[in-house]
Parts: sequence; C-alpha cells; structure tokens
Amino acid sequence: MKAWIPLLLRLCLLALLVAFLSNPLWFEPLLKPLTQNGAPAIYNQGSLSSLAFQHLRTVAIATAAAIVVAVALAILVTRPAGVEFLPLSRSLVNIGQTFPPVAVLALAVPAVGFGEKPTLIALFLYGLLPIFENTLTGLTTTPANVVEAARGAGMTGWQRLLKIELPLSVPVILAGIRLSVVISLATATIGSTVAAKTLGEVIIAGLQSNNLAFVLQGGLIVAALAVLIYDALSALERMAARRMGQGARNA
Amino acid sequence: MIEIENITKRYGDAAVVDDVSMVIEPHTLTVIVGTSGSGKTTLLRMINRLVEPTSGTIKLDGVDNRSVPGHELRRSIGYAIQGNGLFPHRTVAQNIGTVPLLLGWDAARIKARVDELMSLLQLDPAAFGPRYPHELSGGQQQRVGVARALAAEPNVLLMDEPFGALDPIIRTKAQQDLLAIQKRFGTTIILVTHDMEEAVHLGDRIAVMDAGKLIQYASPAEILAKPATGFVETLVGASDRPFKLLSLGEVRDAVEPGSADGEGIAAEASQRDALAELLWSGRAAMPVTSEDGTAIGRVTVQGLVKRAARPQ
Repeated sequence: MKAWIPLLLRLCLLALLVAFLSNPLWFEPLLKPLTQNGAPAIYNQGSLSSLAFQHLRTVAIATAAAIVVAVALAILVTRPAGVEFLPLSRSLVNIGQTFPPVAVLALAVPAVGFGEKPTLIALFLYGLLPIFENTLTGLTTTPANVVEAARGAGMTGWQRLLKIELPLSVPVILAGIRLSVVISLATATIGSTVAAKTLGEVIIAGLQSNNLAFVLQGGLIVAALAVLIYDALSALERMAARRMGQGARNA
Repeated sequence: MIEIENITKRYGDAAVVDDVSMVIEPHTLTVIVGTSGSGKTTLLRMINRLVEPTSGTIKLDGVDNRSVPGHELRRSIGYAIQGNGLFPHRTVAQNIGTVPLLLGWDAARIKARVDELMSLLQLDPAAFGPRYPHELSGGQQQRVGVARALAAEPNVLLMDEPFGALDPIIRTKAQQDLLAIQKRFGTTIILVTHDMEEAVHLGDRIAVMDAGKLIQYASPAEILAKPATGFVETLVGASDRPFKLLSLGEVRDAVEPGSADGEGIAAEASQRDALAELLWSGRAAMPVTSEDGTAIGRVTVQGLVKRAARPQ
C-alpha cells in the first residue's frame, strides 16, 4: 500500500506545477499576503510558462553539449591510445567544476555578449564533471571477465565499446547526467543576471522590488522542476539497471 | 593440429611461459595442469592471441596464427572462461549468437544454431532463449558459456577453468556434457585446470606446467605411472594415485568369468566406482551387466586391486 504514495505525491506536484504555470492567477490569493503596498502577487513582466520553457531549454542544450563532450572525453581516455590524457582531462573537467558559474558569466559576457550564450557556457562547464567522472567509472568498472569474453569472442575495440562497455555503463552514466541536470536547473537562475530568459528573472525582479511573492514563486517552480526531473531520471536508471540484473550496483 | 614451437612470454625479466613446445593432435582433449602462476593460462591465451608471445610460433593446421588479425582469429576459435563472462545486458540467445553475428551469419541460420546448441545442452530454447543471464542458475550459465564458445562451429575450443565456479555435483555433470560434445563435434579442446583429478578424468593427454616450463606431456596413465618429476608426483597426489589409475578404465575391461550375488554394476562404469561399491558393500565380487541388462561376468576386489598397482 505504501508503494504508491511517493508516486501519488509526485503526480500531485506535477499537477500543481502545470496548474500554476498555465493559470498563475488562480494562486494569487495564496501569494497576496507576501506582498506589500499593493504590489502584484504574480509575476507580470512576462509569462511564467514561457520563462519555465526557456529555462528548461537552456538547461537541455547545455546538458546535451556536456554529455557529448564528457562522454567522448571519457571514451578517449579509456582507450589504450588515450590513457596518457587521463590526468589532463581530469584537471580540465575539475577546473570547469571549481570555477564559480558567476565568474564564468562575468568573463563570458565581454566575449559573447549578454543573453543566453554566457549562461550556456557556464552551465556546460559546470555540468561536465559529474558526467565525465561517472562515464569514466562505468567504462573502467565493466566486469573483467565480461570484457575478456568479448575479446575472446573476436570483438574489435570499437565493437567492445559499443556493444558491451557503453551499454553496461548506461545506468552509471545516467546517474551522472541526473546530477548534472539538477545542478544546472538551479544554476541557470543566475543566468538572468546577464539577461538570459530563465526563471531567475522572476527571483531577481522580486529581490529588486522587495517582493517576496516573486522570489518564492520563481524558487518554487525551479525546485518543483528539479524534483520531478530528478525522480524521472532516477526511475530511468533503475529500469536500465534492472534489465542488466545489477540493481544493487547503483543502489 | 596445433603446433606450439618454442613459445616464450616475458613480462619484463620474468618468463611466464618459458620455451614451451608441444603438438596437440586434432579431435583430442588436452588438459594443461599447473598451480597458479605456472603460466598455463598465458599459454592458452597465446593460442588465440589474447596474449602475444615474446618469441616462438603457434601453428593451427599448419598456418601461423599471426597470419590473420587477432580478432578474426578469435572468431574462429571457441573460448570459454571461468565465471563464464556472459554479457549481462543480452539475452541467453543473443549471448550464444555473439560470434555468428560478428561473422555476419543471417538471422535464420543464427537462430537454428542457437536452438541446436541449447537443446544439446538441455536448455529449452523457448523457455531460456529470451531470458537474461542473471535469471539462470550457475550451472545453466556455465552451459550458456560453452554454447556461446561453440556457436560458430569452431574446430578448436579453448577453456580456462570452465568448471571452477561450479559445485561438485554440477561439475561432474558439466564434465560429462563436455565429453559428449567433444565426441559429437570432434572439436579439438584445450582445457586449463589446477585440478589433476579433472585432468585425469577428461584428458586424452595431459600437459603439466610449472614455473613457465612444460614438465611432462603424456597420457593420463603415463602421468600417473611415471611422473617425470617430484612436482608432477605431488600434483598427482601419492595417496590416491591407484584410485585415479582405476578411474581411467571401464569395468568391462576388468570383467572375469563367473557370477556373483547382489546388485550389479554397468559395464561402462569406471573401475574406481566398482571398487568403491565393492568395498562399501563389503563384498568380494559383484556381477557386471551390459547395456541391454544381461550379465556378462563379475568383477572382484582382488582383480581390481591388481589393476590399481603401478604399471611396470
């Protein structure tokens, strides 16, 4: 009986989110007490649903680019020819993670101008590390006797990678992507400081006009998106892992 | 025929396999025995070039095994390993069809071959084909591993401790299956093990390795009767040498004329089993029955004990 409760909660959250984005005025009475001096309770300088869509689009593009680069890099450094690049790649990816996104934005604006581009660069750099490290883990922890059997069956290096090593790494790679997406969802909000269209716009507008209702609705939408996407990706991982009879590996 | 000529493998200064030469006759089962670190697995893996030798050559039916790229060579040689190494994300049928798929067989031919092998190894193709390896028992997984190694109809099958992870009862069954397969397909099998009992039971010829060198290469009877060195003698185990010797012969070769009371034993059982049964039941003799159930004579403790003595 308990198994369906979490699912029900998530469905409720999803329904609430969809309702809020499509008809924010329904929720005005709830948020009204948080405003002062008759300020508007619902963000009125743009549509919340289109901001949410653009927020997701920015995260999707940055993550897709990070997946391509991080997975390709991890594949490269696990091939015999690329092993010597492992320490270098690790350092580069780590720098991407340790460099604060705000600083990346500040440095990127003079180069590429205001708008979505600097945000994409910051999110891309920030999202590389989890995907790279997890892909690396997946590719290097494929059971030795499985790889041995694949070699013994006469698979070439590429065939082993595509048919054995990558498919077996899918659950671990997905876990990396999940981390990266959730970090990016939250980080994308600061993109609005350089005029990217994200939900951060709502939060920043609230901070500037001392409107708690704006801050709260911007934050809650991002949080709800993050929770739902995190859970959906977790479910996908479990499905992939179960198919391989290795449910325990990612527990 | 597999000709191994002066093969050596060095890692740094250490020779893991040191100047080994041997000829393996076609359609035989050769067992390479040794302790861990003796170089037996390395020797095996040099045959399909999972390990490249430092010097020396290996010829398969007269052709140097370096004349084709390694992955193509390995598609023509069956390979089964301990813990079977099945691909966990592929079904049993896909696992078995691995090499045929690499060789570009059409789907119908692959399916026919997979079904044939599964039936041969007592796995119902309809029930087990679509399952994943983790849904199978250890013994079933091992059989799938053997089926995968045999899928592309290789002339040569290499096995690296294939029964190492099995419990004794399933292991005996798996060994019988292997002998049946060898008889049916006439595959040349080279099997690596550390278990001399298994070697004596399975091998037409036994190669004993120690510290990278081939110490003795002979028939099981000769290994038991005339161990070349103290090491081989230790490996054979002085205490149950006579029983191992008896295990090589069938009861039909030890039949004496006459009759005896009590339960009989089949003519194709091993002499060791006959002696064990006699000792356990406290009898001096027991009847021997042929395959159709008729009595063909008897075996006696005295007769068997004579056969267990060291051959002169």
